[in-house]
This record gives sequence, C-alpha cells and structure tokens, in this order.
Amino acid sequence: MEQKILSGLDGVSIYGIISILIFFVFFTITLLWVFGLKKNHLNHMEKLPLDGGEKKSTDNTQS
Amino acid sequence: MNTNIETFKYDNRIVRAFAIVTVIWGIVGMLVGMLAAVQLFFPDANLNFQFITFGRIRPLHTNAVIFAFVGNGMFMGIYYSLQRLCKARMFSDFISWFHFWGWQAIIVAAAVTLPMGFTTSKEYAELEWPIKIAIAVVWVAFTVNLIGTILKRREKHMYVAIWFYLATALTVAVLHITNSMTMPAGWFKSYSMYAGVQDALVQWWYGHNAVAFFLTTPYLGLMYYFLPKAANRPIFSYRLSIIHFWALIFIYIWAGPHHLLYTALPDWAQSLGMVFSLMLIAPSWGGMLNGLLTLRGAWDKVRQDPVLKFMVVAVTAYGMATLEGPLLAIKTVNSLSHYTDWTIAHVHTGALGWNGFLTFSMLYYLYPRLYKTNLWSTKLANYHFWIGLLGMMFYIIPIYVAGITEGLMWKQFNKDGFLQYPNFLETIVQVVPMFRLRAIGGTLYLVGVFMMAYNLYRTARAGQFEPDTEAQAAPLEKTTALAHGKSSWHRALEGKPMLFTVLAFVAILIGGIVEVIPMYLIKENVPTISSVHPYTPLEVLGRDLYIREGCLGCHSQMIRPFRSETERYGEYSKAGEFVYDHPFLWGSERKGPDLAREGGKYPDAWHYNHMDDPRATSPGSIMPRYSWLLTQKLETDSLPSRLNALRRVGVPYPAGYENGPAQKDLQAQAEKVVANLKQGGVNADPDKEIVALIAFLQRLGTDIKSAPAAAPITTAAK
Repeated sequence: MEQKILSGLDGVSIYGIISILIFFVFFTITLLWVFGLKKNHLNHMEKLPLDGGEKKSTDNTQS
Repeated sequence: MNTNIETFKYDNRIVRAFAIVTVIWGIVGMLVGMLAAVQLFFPDANLNFQFITFGRIRPLHTNAVIFAFVGNGMFMGIYYSLQRLCKARMFSDFISWFHFWGWQAIIVAAAVTLPMGFTTSKEYAELEWPIKIAIAVVWVAFTVNLIGTILKRREKHMYVAIWFYLATALTVAVLHITNSMTMPAGWFKSYSMYAGVQDALVQWWYGHNAVAFFLTTPYLGLMYYFLPKAANRPIFSYRLSIIHFWALIFIYIWAGPHHLLYTALPDWAQSLGMVFSLMLIAPSWGGMLNGLLTLRGAWDKVRQDPVLKFMVVAVTAYGMATLEGPLLAIKTVNSLSHYTDWTIAHVHTGALGWNGFLTFSMLYYLYPRLYKTNLWSTKLANYHFWIGLLGMMFYIIPIYVAGITEGLMWKQFNKDGFLQYPNFLETIVQVVPMFRLRAIGGTLYLVGVFMMAYNLYRTARAGQFEPDTEAQAAPLEKTTALAHGKSSWHRALEGKPMLFTVLAFVAILIGGIVEVIPMYLIKENVPTISSVHPYTPLEVLGRDLYIREGCLGCHSQMIRPFRSETERYGEYSKAGEFVYDHPFLWGSERKGPDLAREGGKYPDAWHYNHMDDPRATSPGSIMPRYSWLLTQKLETDSLPSRLNALRRVGVPYPAGYENGPAQKDLQAQAEKVVANLKQGGVNADPDKEIVALIAFLQRLGTDIKSAPAAAPITTAAK
C-alpha cells in the first residue's frame, strides 16, 4: 500500500536523492572548514574551559 | 598586556538552586519508576488506587526523569559553565530565577495533572495545553538568558559547549511548538491538530529529537566543558568536536521515523529514518572517542577521582546507546525489537548511564567548589559509583533478555505453521522474573543516589557557600584586537553568535522540512477507506478514558504487516483507518496484546469482568484492576466542547450535532451496551465510565471489516 501512496506523488524519489546530496555537501563543507583551521586558534579554543577567569580560583579544590 | 581588566562576579546561587532540585527530582522520578516497575510483577501494588496505577505514573516517571532530573541537571551545568566560558555573569538574574521557579512550577503541575489523567497521550509531550504554554514561556526566558549572556561575553570565541547549548535551546523550542499544536476542549483536554499517520510522524519527529536535543546535545556540551575541567587537560581534538557538533545536529533531526518502522507510515519516510539513523553512528562515536581520549595519559586519575569515574562510564554508555540506537533502526532488527522491552533497556542505557552518571559527576564536581571545601567522603562517592554501576547492569541486562524473549516468542511458529504461543499472556508471563530482577537493579541504583544526596548534604554542611565568585577579564573590544593571525570562516562564525545561531537553526530545519513536506503530501494521498467513520459520541468519551488511563503505555494499536502479527491480531493496520484519530494511539510498547482489531473479539461482559479483575478472565495477567471505571459516572457535560474541538481539527461531525443529537446517540448506544452486558449476566448502569470504554474497545478495527473489499487487502508475508 505504501508504494501506492508514493507512486501517487509526483517525483517522490527526488526527496531521497536531495536528502543524500544535502548531507554530502554539508559534510564536505564541514570537513573543509575544520581542516582549514589554524593550529594556534585551535590551541586557544581547547584551553578555553581550563581558564574560567576566576580571580581566586576555587578549582584547586579536590573532589 | 591589557590594562583595562574588568572585575565581575559569577552567580553561584542559581547553580546551587538547580543542583539541589536536580537531586530532589531525581529521587522522586526514580521512586515513581520503582513503583511502576513493581506493578509489572505485582499489579496490586497500585493499591487499586487510580492515581498511582501504571498507565498514569509511567508518563509521570518519564517526564520526571527527563524534564525534572535531567532538565534541572542540564540547567545547573549550563548556568555554571556558560558564565565561565563567556567570562560574564548571566545576562539577567531576574530571568535566571524566573526560569528556575517557572520550571519547578511546571514540574509540580506535571506531578499533579498526570496522575489525575490529564494527558495528551503523546510520549514525552503528555502535559496538557496550559502547561505546554508555560513550558514555551519558560523556555523562551532561558533562551533569552542564554543568548543575552553570550552577547555580553568577554571571550571572543564561543567554545564548542556553547554551540551545543544554543542548538538545544533552538531545537527544543521548534520541536515543542510543532508537536504541541492542539485544539483545546476545556482547560485540561485537547485534541491534536494532526490525525493518524501525520500525528504519528510529528510525534516521533518530536519524540526522537526530545532524546536528541534534550538528553543528548546539552549533555554533550556539558561533557565538553566538565570533562576537560575535571581531568585538567584540554579536549582531545577540537577539530573533531566541530565535526561532531555539525554532523550531529544536522543528522539527528532526520531520524525520527525509525520509531515507526513497519507501521502504516509510508515506506519512504521509514527508509529515510533508517538511513540517517545509521549515519548517526559516525558523529556519535566521534564525540565519545573525543571524550575518552581526552583522558589519555590521565587514566591514573580515573582510579582515584569519582568525578572522572562517573564521567568515563557516562561517556561509554553514550557510545553504547548511540551504537545500539542505529542498529535498532535497521528495519529487520526493529521488526524483532519494536514493542518489546528491548527499547526500554536501550533508553535506560542512555538515561541511567549517560544522563544519570554525567549528572552525578557534575554534582560531585560542583558541590565542593560551590562550598569551597573537599567532598565529605570520597569513599562514599566510590561506593555510589559501584552500586550505581551494579544497579545499572541489574536493570538493563534482564530487560534485554526480556525484550529479546518477547520478540522471539511473538514470532515463533510451530512446525504446522501455527503460532507457537498464540496466547499473548504466555509471552509476558515468561518474562515476569526479568521484571523482578529489573526492580532490584533499580533499587540498587536508587540507593546509590541516596548515598550521593547524603554525601552532598554533608559536603555543604562542612563548607561555606560562596554565592558569587569574583572573576577578571578584559572586555571584548580589547581582546578582539588581539585576534590571532588570519581569520577563517569558522573562526569568524565563532565570534558571531547570531549568525552561528541562524546557521544551526537552518541545519536542524532542513531535516525537519524534508520530513514535513511529504507529510502534507501524504495527507492528500492516504487512500480514504469509505467504511471508516468518525467515532460516535460514546466512543469519543471511551477513547478519552483510554487516553486518561494511559492504556497505550502497554497496548499498541498498530498491527505490522508480518504473518506473526496478522495471525495473532488480524488484518494489518492501514493508514486510512486512522484519519479520524486525534491523537493517534499506536503506542510504542506491548505489555499486553495489540488492540487495533479488538472490536468484536470478546463479548461486552468479558470486557466488563476483565476491567474489574483482569486475573479473573486471564489468569496470570499483569494488567492492573480498573474497578473504578465500573463505579465512576461518565462525565458527559463536556461532550459538546469535545465534539466541537474534534470538528475544528477536521472530523466531519454535522453542524449542530453536539447540541442535542449527540447526547441522544450517546444514550442509545449506552443502552445497547447495557443490554449486551445483561445478556452476559452483568447488570450495569448506562451512565458509568465502563460503558463508554467498552463501546470504544468494541469499535476498534471493525470499520474495515464492514467494508466489502473497499480496501486493497493483501497480507504481506514475513
């Protein structure tokens, strides 16, 4: 029955193709993006959570 | 060196407030879970008291754990980490407290209304419309506070955790609003705008993404903050975290239809859900590995520090659950697992392992810091870790066994080609011992939480609370000038929160739109079955009772096109049969048989006796008694507003039908049921709730039986 519903929709298969294409383009752009990042920027970003800006850090507390 | 350093204060009070309620609601939610779990092997544990019966408290348990325990845990972690990552106090203290008290009020409203049976029946979206509006308002307040804080930050770049928080805020708003489109029929009753197949698709688009964007993305953000913090080393790969983020939010939104495999949902949408679910393994495991590899060279710390212990198990559980999820989304696997306890085991790997353990680790991390002291007892925290882990295993493993057993028994044929276990009850009785073991596991887990609560309480008493933490940083304009080297697009994006927000929004919308467009196309193309008619007034009220009691927590109304199902239940379900179902009642779990073709299977008197005492008609049944239905008067005053609301969402009741003719029809049908009951030796009044429920049950699935070959009926063998 599903096939009957779908065959009633004009060009429904295009949705599947579009979905995969969108995903492929999206993923490729993300990869290009990521590998274009500079090392010093990455170092800066990685260290962000470790520096909370606290004046008198309470992070020395051991749990 | 920048001389223009500003001094400011982080708000710790709001973090502490969320921390306290996280523990309290966690205990409440798990206790309710325990009560529900016990009723599965000891149905009388409801004490024949309707307000604590399984069908009503199951949604209370899921809502309490998701929105109260994990929700408050999420806010606790976000309010702590966001201020520090932005080097700014929260945007508005007033909004912070409005958010806090608003959220607690919503939780209390849920705790009152769900046991009373005020429910939409849509999973994780059960709360009725006034509470839904309150959720939207409070969520907007949280989002304003989040974005406001980001805008006034003193750190140019937004760390990856903040992206996850932003994506959470946006997507939950979109999901909540789309799935909450209902037509009120009184203060605590409404009907979904969508019907049948469309309603199912929207609901599971929401339901799946509630898991994704309420239980996963915010917690991933928290992982990216608290894990490096606790291990005191940067995240393994920042690059990987970027890919993790974009791939995850982009793909997750597509995967909802995997909750509806082999149902009457069109095959195209099912395949889409399956493919995107499989793709999810990549970003999920990227994230898990990123978390675990952050601990490279620091595993010695894991042996000593309970915070890291909990985190390692949490991240591992995330990895396990996100591998299992896509596997369960493969159609052939799903044909075995769907409706069984396998799904329950799967979600508890995520809830107990990922959300639970990460919340515990954050609490153990935060309390000593908020109170400027050491944890009262590291030993007790270690005991909590082990008893929690043991509890999790005792919970999950028996339920896996139960789920696979159920799935196999439902499908088993004997050598003559008949069902090996034609009586559904046989299959459920078989797994009752597993339900007992599961309750033991849940108890162990809960004992651990009590140990943690005591430990945190003693820590708080031993230390001194620091309401504000003083911090220093240069304002944003000055630091901008210090930007390193040449800019790239992602760096620019990290500095532009609004643009970033728009792009994230677009990413999640694409998947949503591609799913929603066919939904509207299908609406015009679902073959209408001429013999399918709207429910009669008595059946409408009976259906509402079915919703009130949470029957769909245990009974599906969706026969899949497998021979094992058509043999057991009858003709498989067609999309056209649900065109008047506002909301759809397909269910997601079978602790009892499917009811899609229940109509006409048993006499009315059987249903009456069965509701009074299920074990009288079905020895060994684990269904609770519903004896109050036999004595409570059916509320008919609201019938006009109910029929009117249904007409507004598209059910073709004639104009003016609700003002007179409907009541007459209702009475006539009630008298008929009473006469049938009398034939079966039962004397009942026509104005009792049971009469309406029987009328509804006897209607189920009968429409197409009366159709002379109206629907193309061919059973797909499996």
